[in-house]
Amino acid sequence: MEEREIDANQSFELINKMVNQAQNKLTENGFLLLFWGWLVFITALVFYCLISAESSYASLAWVTMPFGGIFTAVYVMKKNKTEKVKSFSNDYVGYVSIAFTISMFIVLTQTNKLQLNCYPIIILLYAIMTFIIGGIIRFKPLIICALVSFVLAFAAFYFEFKVQILLIALSVLVSYILPGHLLMRKFKSQSNV
Amino acid sequence: MFKDLDPLLHSQLRLAVISILVSVKEAEFTYLKEETNATAGNLSVQLQKLKDAEYIEIEKKFSNNYPQTLCKITPIGTKAFANYVKAIKQYIK
Repeated sequence: MEEREIDANQSFELINKMVNQAQNKLTENGFLLLFWGWLVFITALVFYCLISAESSYASLAWVTMPFGGIFTAVYVMKKNKTEKVKSFSNDYVGYVSIAFTISMFIVLTQTNKLQLNCYPIIILLYAIMTFIIGGIIRFKPLIICALVSFVLAFAAFYFEFKVQILLIALSVLVSYILPGHLLMRKFKSQSNV
Repeated sequence: MFKDLDPLLHSQLRLAVISILVSVKEAEFTYLKEETNATAGNLSVQLQKLKDAEYIEIEKKFSNNYPQTLCKITPIGTKAFANYVKAIKQYIK
């Protein structure tokens, strides 16, 4: 692009092109969706196996979560330092993720006071988070997969505890792992253009 | 009567830069260079003109021992861009 004067139509076209280019460029590569998707998926299945084996250490399976949190914090800090462009959507996704983490913490620590099994609510939180993030980054597969998780959250209230664990695994498979792969593929194809 | 177009924005490269910066929070020099396909020298000159007019802020820092130039649109720049778009619409009608 050179430094030259343009007419009104060219100006308008240029503005549209640049704004669309900047706004439609994905800044999320799907890595964290995949990381959390697989982490929760594997942990939930291990937890299910331990519960089935009536192990008294079953709940220890979830100790992977704080480590996942630490890894995520380090990853995000590094990513922020190396990013060439900071979009407003990055900020919104950050706020939604923080709200999700706080909500998850409250639900998990107050299960006794809730007097119900917290797993359907956890699936509901997964669905809410992926639905909002899908809207922010304008990635339809994420929105559609989140809708499936909403259905799973609704259904989870009608199943026993052990089945709910499997529904959590299914929920992250549908709303994290599947769209995570699709997002990563789109991000890579965009980077290769 | 048509409004006069802002001469600072009514040029291809500067308008492209402002259009990008109005859509993002901040962008690195290298990102702007890639998106506009401009040469580094030309882009530097045009960024300086936008900075002199207080349309953008330029922050130079080091990240991982590499120099980094970050550009961000200012409220004055946003207003100028909005006025420019408003004016250009009258020419197109």
